[in-house]
Amino acid sequence: MQPAFRYFHADTPIHRLHPLVKIAYVMLTLVLVMYPIRETDMPVLLIWLGLSAVLWTVGRIELRRFATLLKILFGTFIFLILIQGFTYRFGETPLIVIGHLRLWEADLGVITKEGVWFGLVLSVRILVATSALPLFVMTTPTSAIMTAMSKLRVPRTLTFMLVSALSFTSLLFEMWNSIVDAQKLRAFDIDRMNVFKRAFKAYIPIITPLILLLFRKANDFQIAMETKGFGAPVEPTEIEILTTRPADYLWLALIVAVFVGCTVLKFAAW
Amino acid sequence: MSDEPLIRLENVTFTYGGDVVALRDLNLTARRGEFVVVLGANGAGKSTLCYLISGIVPHIYGGRRRGLVSVAGLDPWDEPLYVTAQHCGVLMQDPEVQLFMPTLRAELAFGPANLGVDREEILRRAREALALVRLEGLEEHNPRDLSGGQKQRAALASVLTMEPQILVLDEPTSQLDPLGRWEIGEAIERLKEQGEITIVMTTHETEEVLHLADQVLVLDRGRTVLQGTPAEVFSQPDRLEAVGVKTPVLVAVRSTLLSTGQGAEERVDLTVSEVAEEIRQAVGAGQLTVRTDALPEPEPPPADAPVILEACDLTVEYPGPPPVVALQDVSLQIRRGEFVGIVGQNGSGKSTLVKCFVGLLRPKTGQILFQGEDIRRLSVGEIARRIGLVLQNPDYQLFTASCRDEVRFGLRNVGVPPDQIEHRVEEALQMVGLEEEADLFPFRLSFGDRRKLAVAATIALDPEVLILDEPTTAQDHRGRYQLAELARRFHERGGTVLMITHDVDLIARYAHRLIVLHQGHILLDGPTAEVFSQVEELKKSFVVPPVAARLAWELASVGLPPHVMTLDDLYRVLVPTREEGGARRENAGEGVV
Repeated sequence: MQPAFRYFHADTPIHRLHPLVKIAYVMLTLVLVMYPIRETDMPVLLIWLGLSAVLWTVGRIELRRFATLLKILFGTFIFLILIQGFTYRFGETPLIVIGHLRLWEADLGVITKEGVWFGLVLSVRILVATSALPLFVMTTPTSAIMTAMSKLRVPRTLTFMLVSALSFTSLLFEMWNSIVDAQKLRAFDIDRMNVFKRAFKAYIPIITPLILLLFRKANDFQIAMETKGFGAPVEPTEIEILTTRPADYLWLALIVAVFVGCTVLKFAAW
Repeated sequence: MSDEPLIRLENVTFTYGGDVVALRDLNLTARRGEFVVVLGANGAGKSTLCYLISGIVPHIYGGRRRGLVSVAGLDPWDEPLYVTAQHCGVLMQDPEVQLFMPTLRAELAFGPANLGVDREEILRRAREALALVRLEGLEEHNPRDLSGGQKQRAALASVLTMEPQILVLDEPTSQLDPLGRWEIGEAIERLKEQGEITIVMTTHETEEVLHLADQVLVLDRGRTVLQGTPAEVFSQPDRLEAVGVKTPVLVAVRSTLLSTGQGAEERVDLTVSEVAEEIRQAVGAGQLTVRTDALPEPEPPPADAPVILEACDLTVEYPGPPPVVALQDVSLQIRRGEFVGIVGQNGSGKSTLVKCFVGLLRPKTGQILFQGEDIRRLSVGEIARRIGLVLQNPDYQLFTASCRDEVRFGLRNVGVPPDQIEHRVEEALQMVGLEEEADLFPFRLSFGDRRKLAVAATIALDPEVLILDEPTTAQDHRGRYQLAELARRFHERGGTVLMITHDVDLIARYAHRLIVLHQGHILLDGPTAEVFSQVEELKKSFVVPPVAARLAWELASVGLPPHVMTLDDLYRVLVPTREEGGARRENAGEGVV
């Protein structure tokens, strides 16, 4: 299976979309999730998540590539919902009562309906925030990202740091899996350990070789880049010629319209 | 070849930080279009020479230099790396770290684009480079999805788009399978034919470069041991063996059986048929005697021994898109006490098969039985006590502060009582010859010793089956048989050994039985000599039988038995007449340490 966060070549409307439109979508997503949050934000977040779902579907991005990430996110959501359920200070309607332990404005022994709801809103906000970047990097070739970034006057080194980090991600996953296999061969079976044992003990035999290998690979990577003229004090040639088509304007208009609609909806409730 | 020297090194001494002298008083001149081969054991200074020419030293790796270095008229010491890079390109061993763009097209454009070369010119260069390495039509592919040989050719093409006058190739085939090596060799040969680029190539595979080399430089611990034309250098096999450099097999055979003596400059680019003909004439003239009784028939594999490991209708599929069937209905039995070689191209299913044996992969259908028990009932840890797998790269497993701790780790995981652990640690370290290094930090060991440590950590668990995955990878001539020798000792103590390798000489030397995998199926399975005799079938998998075997087949008419597999076998059967009944020839083996 192809790893997550890696560009895959396909001919979809999202792949053909101008990178700057996709950058606009990423930026507007970030703005939206940075608005002050309230428990009434759920419709706004769901609308934007709906837009993201449309873009993901049209871009033919497979959700199963994100199985590991989704597992981590799911765990985070459960944690958030529980924490908010117990501690949300505006919680009034008890759902489950374990006991009573008042601390400032919250009763830590009671899971409240409002707290659970707020935890859900926070979870959806995280889902919205994490949905934008994969769409951008998985449907945009690195050369197009670099050209688009240079049009936005982002320094080339900064852009390259981003794209090479993405390229390193798949290498990182491969190394991680190889190390886990190597340690399993010495009867160190991480898959059979409980969460606490994993957190406190299991990762040392895996992370130590990973770090040592990463240092070595990073060195080779630097050699490969610099012996190909990276860092030369000249204006780099842009190989990717970015052309704007009517479809780009239509998608941009749709994205901006949804964003404006979400903003109005959000602040109308204040 | 022009007279213009593009590389000029005069009395160069280079010292890394910590006073490690990597090169001493080195002199080298290479002209336009010249092909220079640099040979030497690991640690001889080959890579340092590559770094020095390409400017990686001092811009990435620091150190002190004495002497003159001129590369295309520039001193890389005084120029920024991007300036030297316009004249001198570098291809390293590992293609994975040289490919970082999402498409091959972007990869090829990366270098010239950094230098501000005109877009149309970049596209022209990319087209030419792709044609040279024969990767046309793959422009939109992600380089990481290519095969090993294709990846290295892609990396070569990405260097060529810089249009360098000098190309430095640092062991470019060491991590490739036979097909990959052939592919990259073919591309290098075309470059050499064009005659425009000066090529400096380091390698351990002397046969691969014999027909290309104009000049050969042999290094030993930074010093020049031999330097000259291939004929001058390879006519001194004793000196080459002394510094751990492999003499091309046919040259060694000729020198041992036919040559008038060391140092006689003779043709070195030989074919099996040519050498066979010379031997035939020598036998006819009475200079060589064929002693068929000197080589007994090989012992058949123990057919009545109990089955220790069994694969039944094994099918393994990797999820896509698109899904890849790595093994299809594979069934085989391994008997206790066998020494089995497994060969096949990358992607043929070798590693998948052994990963199923140790439980790292679960087959889609079929089952693996260990002594009749389905291994699905066992955890990976429980299997590790019975079947040990030593992976290619030891660095995936080393993480402790000492070699001793590294071996202890597995023993603790399987629950060996503390009073027994120390004894087993000492025993395992002693077996691999690392008892002196027991308290050293594993990463201070050489790559070869780190692999030995990985074997020690596996053997300490006292498995009944030992599996070695590519024991010769990234090893020099001396180091390449070290792991196989450890496996042989394990086998002599009653163990069962499976060895995955591309090295047919290694298989011929150690394995009783050979399994050839091809596209997820078993292509051939049988006694080693019998499998190697199926030349046409082996071609499907790019496996070429060992040179000694091919010589023996060509010499069947003069009475050579068909089961000659190694040079040792050949030298036992073919004896110079003057030596018959006298002292055995010394140093006639394959230089195995």
